[in-house]
Amino acid sequence: MRTRRAVFSVLMLWVLALAAVALFALQHLHISTDLRSFMPPPQTADQQLLMDQIGEGPGSRLLLLAITGAPETMLAELSRGLADALHKDTRFEQVVNGAFDASALDEQLLPYRYLLSPTLDTHTLDAAYLGEQLQQRVEDLASPAAALLKPLLARDPTLEVLALAERWSPPKPPAVRDGVWFSSAGEALLLAETRGAGFDPAAQGAAIDALEAAFHALPNVGSATLTVSGPGYFTVLINAKTRGEADRIGAVSTLGFILLLLLAYRSLPALLLAGLPVVSGGLAGIAALALAFGSAHGITLAFGFTLLGVAQEYPIRLLSHRRAGEDALTSVRALWPLLATAIASAAIAYLAFFASGVGGLQQLAVFTIAGLVVAGLSTRYLLPRVLPVRFRDAAATPGLAAATRFIDRVPRPRWLPWLLLIVSLIALWRAPGPLWENDLAALTPVPQDLLLRDAKLRGELGAPDVRYLLVLEAADADGVLALSESLAPSLDGLVKTAALDAVELPSRYLPSAATQRARQVKLPGRAALAVALADASRDLPFRPDLFTPFLDDVESARTLTPLSAETFARSPLGARLASMLVQRDDGWLGLATLSGVRDAGALAAFTTSTQGRARLLDLKGASESLVAAYRERILRALGLALVLLAVTVIVALRSWRRAWHVLAPMSLATLLVLVVERASGISLSLFHLVALTLAAGLGLHYALFFERPVADAAESRRTLHATLVCVISALLVFGLQALSSLPVLRAIGLTVALGVGFHFCLSILMARSGSVKD
Amino acid sequence: MLPSHAAPPDDGAGKADAAALVAALKRDVPARTPYTEVRFSGMLDRPLILHGELEYSGPGKLGKRVDTPYKEQTTIAGSSASVQRGDRPPRTFSLAQAPELEGFLRGFSALLGGDAVTLQRDFELSASGSQARWQLQLKPRDDRLARRITAIEVDGAQNAPRCFRTHEADGDLGILLVDTLADAKLTTRPSPAQLDALCRGVAAP
Repeated sequence: MRTRRAVFSVLMLWVLALAAVALFALQHLHISTDLRSFMPPPQTADQQLLMDQIGEGPGSRLLLLAITGAPETMLAELSRGLADALHKDTRFEQVVNGAFDASALDEQLLPYRYLLSPTLDTHTLDAAYLGEQLQQRVEDLASPAAALLKPLLARDPTLEVLALAERWSPPKPPAVRDGVWFSSAGEALLLAETRGAGFDPAAQGAAIDALEAAFHALPNVGSATLTVSGPGYFTVLINAKTRGEADRIGAVSTLGFILLLLLAYRSLPALLLAGLPVVSGGLAGIAALALAFGSAHGITLAFGFTLLGVAQEYPIRLLSHRRAGEDALTSVRALWPLLATAIASAAIAYLAFFASGVGGLQQLAVFTIAGLVVAGLSTRYLLPRVLPVRFRDAAATPGLAAATRFIDRVPRPRWLPWLLLIVSLIALWRAPGPLWENDLAALTPVPQDLLLRDAKLRGELGAPDVRYLLVLEAADADGVLALSESLAPSLDGLVKTAALDAVELPSRYLPSAATQRARQVKLPGRAALAVALADASRDLPFRPDLFTPFLDDVESARTLTPLSAETFARSPLGARLASMLVQRDDGWLGLATLSGVRDAGALAAFTTSTQGRARLLDLKGASESLVAAYRERILRALGLALVLLAVTVIVALRSWRRAWHVLAPMSLATLLVLVVERASGISLSLFHLVALTLAAGLGLHYALFFERPVADAAESRRTLHATLVCVISALLVFGLQALSSLPVLRAIGLTVALGVGFHFCLSILMARSGSVKD
Repeated sequence: MLPSHAAPPDDGAGKADAAALVAALKRDVPARTPYTEVRFSGMLDRPLILHGELEYSGPGKLGKRVDTPYKEQTTIAGSSASVQRGDRPPRTFSLAQAPELEGFLRGFSALLGGDAVTLQRDFELSASGSQARWQLQLKPRDDRLARRITAIEVDGAQNAPRCFRTHEADGDLGILLVDTLADAKLTTRPSPAQLDALCRGVAAP
């Protein structure tokens, strides 16, 4: 006998258990947003490099900044202020705005300038060269440049520091006005390299927030505005936009869903309680992830909650199938064999995902299986104990009898499914456009105007392309530098023939040890240099002992051990080089960034001429091949899942004929969704596949329940009631998504909505047993 | 704003008024004058002597041509300076890389343009002497400029400057002789004192 007290205690225990699980999950599950943890293990060397470089590559961590909306001198001041603020921020590797910073080369590295600068490749520090240089310094002293050069002069009369600063500025720097970079449109330009990966929305979000905060904290910001561009910015923008739109659509569809359930069951308590199994399933899924993996990818959770949508059917079935005067427990016992079949077959099918060997898919399987099983079990054992005793029999819903009669009368020609199958196959074969969409970015597109602005800023700043990298391979870091030096002349040739705008090689920042030694050998001894210097300045007005610091520096440069990549990378200037050198198990890689690639063919031809020591890595191509490999795994898993599902259904129903009635409409409906999408020129992506899987899970329910032999017409009406509530709610939620402006939401929404429609119609045509008279 | 010892320019025997002196310097653009420049520097053991022509072609636009001992053309427009020597391509750099330099040149340009308002924004002006022989002293108000340049002194007669002396904070001194002094005969190693006397007209012809 159910008492109020018993109901209350079950409910309390249930809610408390949910709260405990939620608390556990919150504490133990780490949610990652880095795209890489969702990707399959890389197979090829390029894919491996892509996984290392996606978001980590020098190009993808660059944010392009422009300041506008104030007079030029003010913009320049803001640019300097922002750069100063960001120099102190650990979220940024480096910030450059074109300002010359004589202190950039720190004191300890200063004597190395003779080994790093190319001056000694073409000159020697003899009387003739020094004489020419010193004469120029005399002239400099009488020119406005004197203010800049005076502090350097005694130590560095040949101005090697300036030569290095020039060499290390971007390959095609923008115009410098007021001491900082300006675009042709009069915006102050800056480049900021973040420490966080480019495609990690959390890291990029934090960096961009810090950027905005630093800018607005500047004095005199006034009407000036800061615009940001670059891969990291787009990642953040699209994430926020997708989330915002998904939330809006979610809010509207939740409202619709609640109204629908209120209309269907006329009971607020029933409505609230019916939500508990899905909540239980979701929390159980998260807890299972926390236990099994400790972390989950944001995408896993998003896909998982989508797939868990199936579980909303369980309580709906219970509510719709309750017979007048019947205890909820009795109703659920009658329903359970079928519900259990649906749950078991789905759970077994998702085991195939677990066997895929892809981390992200395994997580998805664990989440979904745990979620479905817990949602099912709580519908079976908990929900009936807390449902209110008073309820309306769904069979009595006005209009339902007429609807049932209409469906009973629908003609069911046996040839229709076969005709549909043949037409589908032809349509699929003739469908326009590529079958698969490999470019995941196409599903989360960046608005065209932002892309154009990015391209413009990138051009003005001479910032590298995100797409291409030149990969140099050698046994050690110095080998990479030497290779880089040997390739430089040919690459300069390609720049001259306009195959590309510029290339940024690692050797630009640090010459190989051999080159440094060759320059070192050319440095004269102290006595010889002193004589040459005296000779050179004989007719010049310099004070005799002025250049002692210069003599000291050259002398110490003669005995320096060449600067290694490791040492240099630890200096503030070496960050750039560090991001260009990658250590691997079997050697070192150098990553040269390219800008304005116009003729990828010519570059590819050049790399073949290097006998594989240099390769052109097309990040877009590599990521697409990765996506294709990923899809292959999913398809294989889905194929296996289908087989497992069929076997489970056959075993559960113990009849080939009945299993056919369930599986045939489900399969044909899935095919029809594919046909409609392909015939309208849609290329399929991972998101379509996940949505198809969800729709198939829903379709399985429709077919199973329609196929179930029923005792009377009232039960037949209840089945239709339950199915209609499920179909309309799914159409509501996913139909709204299908109207979204974002391709990724549209892909999921359209596929599920179409699927639900087809599954429903075909289940009626092919699965439903004949009518039963009262 | 004016120093208390400044008096109106019209008092006959007249002490000079700084603002009025500056205003009287205004020239029709483009204004050209030959110059001789003598630079004393701690880095040099004898002064550098240059001859050439200065050109003022409007606010912020200055040109300086060196004819001897080498050929050079410096052009300053707004905040960017370009220096061309011989047949080498011009080197352009921004004055903002050395903000103090920009202040100096802005002051110089305001002086040649007779723009006392701009000049007083950047410098504290004081005047002494008479209409016939006056001195104008400019002390930078901006700290950054003051760290580089301690004072600029201008010596002139009637409404023409003859001599600009720039005292740099590191002890270096630049003296620009223009107008009637541009062709003054100098010894090979003139001393600052000799040039001071020349500027103040003590040893003037």
